Amino acid sequence: MTRLITNPMIVKELLQRLRERRAWLLPTLYLLVVAGTASFAFYGATDLDMGGNRGEIQGADIGEVLFLTVIVTQMVVLLLMAPVFSAGSLTIEKEQRTFAGLLTSLLTAPQIWWGKFVAALLYLLLLLFSALPLLSLSLAFGGVDPVQLLKAVGSTILVLASICTVGLWCSSMFRRSVHSTAAAYGFVLVLSIVTAVAFGILISRWENHNPTVRFEGPPAYIQAPMFLNPFYPLLAILGGESFGQFSYPVSSYLLFTAIGCLAAALAMRRIQRSGDQI
Amino acid sequence: MIEVESLRKIFRGGRGLDGFSLHLDSRELVGLVGPNGAGKTTLIKILSTLLPPDSGVARVAGQDVRSDSRGVRATVGYLPDVAGVYQDMRIREFLEFFADAFRLKEPNRTAAIDRALTRSGLADRPDDFVEHLSLGWKQRLLLAKTLLHGPKLLLLDEPATGLDPLARITLREQLKQLHAEGVAILISSHILSDLEDICTRIVFIADGKNVSEASSSAPEGATAPTIRCEIEFESPASEADPLLKDSANVRVVEKRDRLLIVELTGGPKEASAFLQKLLAASLLVTHFDARGLNLEDRYRRAFGGQPR
Repeated sequence: MTRLITNPMIVKELLQRLRERRAWLLPTLYLLVVAGTASFAFYGATDLDMGGNRGEIQGADIGEVLFLTVIVTQMVVLLLMAPVFSAGSLTIEKEQRTFAGLLTSLLTAPQIWWGKFVAALLYLLLLLFSALPLLSLSLAFGGVDPVQLLKAVGSTILVLASICTVGLWCSSMFRRSVHSTAAAYGFVLVLSIVTAVAFGILISRWENHNPTVRFEGPPAYIQAPMFLNPFYPLLAILGGESFGQFSYPVSSYLLFTAIGCLAAALAMRRIQRSGDQI
Repeated sequence: MIEVESLRKIFRGGRGLDGFSLHLDSRELVGLVGPNGAGKTTLIKILSTLLPPDSGVARVAGQDVRSDSRGVRATVGYLPDVAGVYQDMRIREFLEFFADAFRLKEPNRTAAIDRALTRSGLADRPDDFVEHLSLGWKQRLLLAKTLLHGPKLLLLDEPATGLDPLARITLREQLKQLHAEGVAILISSHILSDLEDICTRIVFIADGKNVSEASSSAPEGATAPTIRCEIEFESPASEADPLLKDSANVRVVEKRDRLLIVELTGGPKEASAFLQKLLAASLLVTHFDARGLNLEDRYRRAFGGQPR
């Protein structure tokens, strides 16, 4: 356990990442995007033309809109960044011809993987937590309770961790960063879009065949493709009238955990056998 | 230090090792020589645990590279042909990282880092970024990093690639020094003059197999020692043809105008006898230079002088 924490790979990775120019540029851009979207959502929710009579607007409605906008925006931006940080982390060692030095040291494949994983995830968490004050604003308006906020942050971390492990697996498989990053983005696209399309097709068929039970929400097998969608646990947490049909967040958690574990095991195995890629 | 017996490693592309054997003692500095694709890098990668062999025996200091790869890594220092460095790290940070990667504990850790800084000649600039070093300095840093954990065996794959003459001289001196300190070294290189200067033994390899120096083009039964003679005549060298036909231990390497270069089996005594034969045949010899084969000659003999 101590070795996992005092892993020299983590120190090296963090040192290198924080020396990059993007180390300060990305958080700035990230906060600008999230804050810009949140501002737009706030003014949209309080706008007379959009929201109707100002007197009818409830603080809870504003809080809910703000919360949903910020967590979804965060997830979108972080899903776009996760492959960049994870899928390039082993291939860069191959491209810079430094991988042999790692593999012939006393570092084990799990240590190398863990160092890369923690460094990638920690940077994403830095971004995630930097926007936490903005997300917490929704608490002031009501409509969202602190437990929901914690669950949303936890779900985001789980999904990002899972994507990072897949990115690292891609990185262990390919020699070039451009290829591994493209593969990781392909995976993110499949999870985000293909699952939603599959769900859309299934639910429209189901609704056509079951017009009377529409408001009770679709059964689990109709929702199943969405369990793999990164946004599903977030929407399930919020629940309410809009997203009440998404009622199986635990299934989603389990699937993302399984994907993460499988990708981690495959990546470590590949790292051990990477001598032919050097 | 190294025991390699009938080692095989076949890749999909076909190149690799095909029954190669090598024994290296702990006091040896052995040069591994062969054409491109001969299997040199594959052998070094197997010995450094980067590649698993398909079959055969590969042991380093008695430890099997497959079953005890961790023990082998602790014993071996490996420097690949094109080794990279972390450009965005400071020199000391770079060495500290590898000291930690080799699990060096204090006070050995600090001592090893200081020793590496001194050895690489970078003791006065530990806070410089690695990216500011020239290729020669980077190579010195890499060698120092390779020696951090005090390996008993150094595996060097084309370590002089891209170095300028001065850096090559420095590298040679460093390797001589390490050898004198008792580090066994296996070095692969195409720069034969460097190997000739530092190696205690040369091993030839081609197509993944051991290659004997007595190739098919050498005189029958030829084994070392062999003498190479450069002879200049007053008259055309072709006048020596009848004499050469009668000399079974002589092989013509080159003949043009008045110059004749031959290799003959034996030592100075045989060379002297050959000169006497030439003079006895009334050939006017204006220059006669006899010396043992250098590595380039031996390489030509082993591989037929043809590029692959």
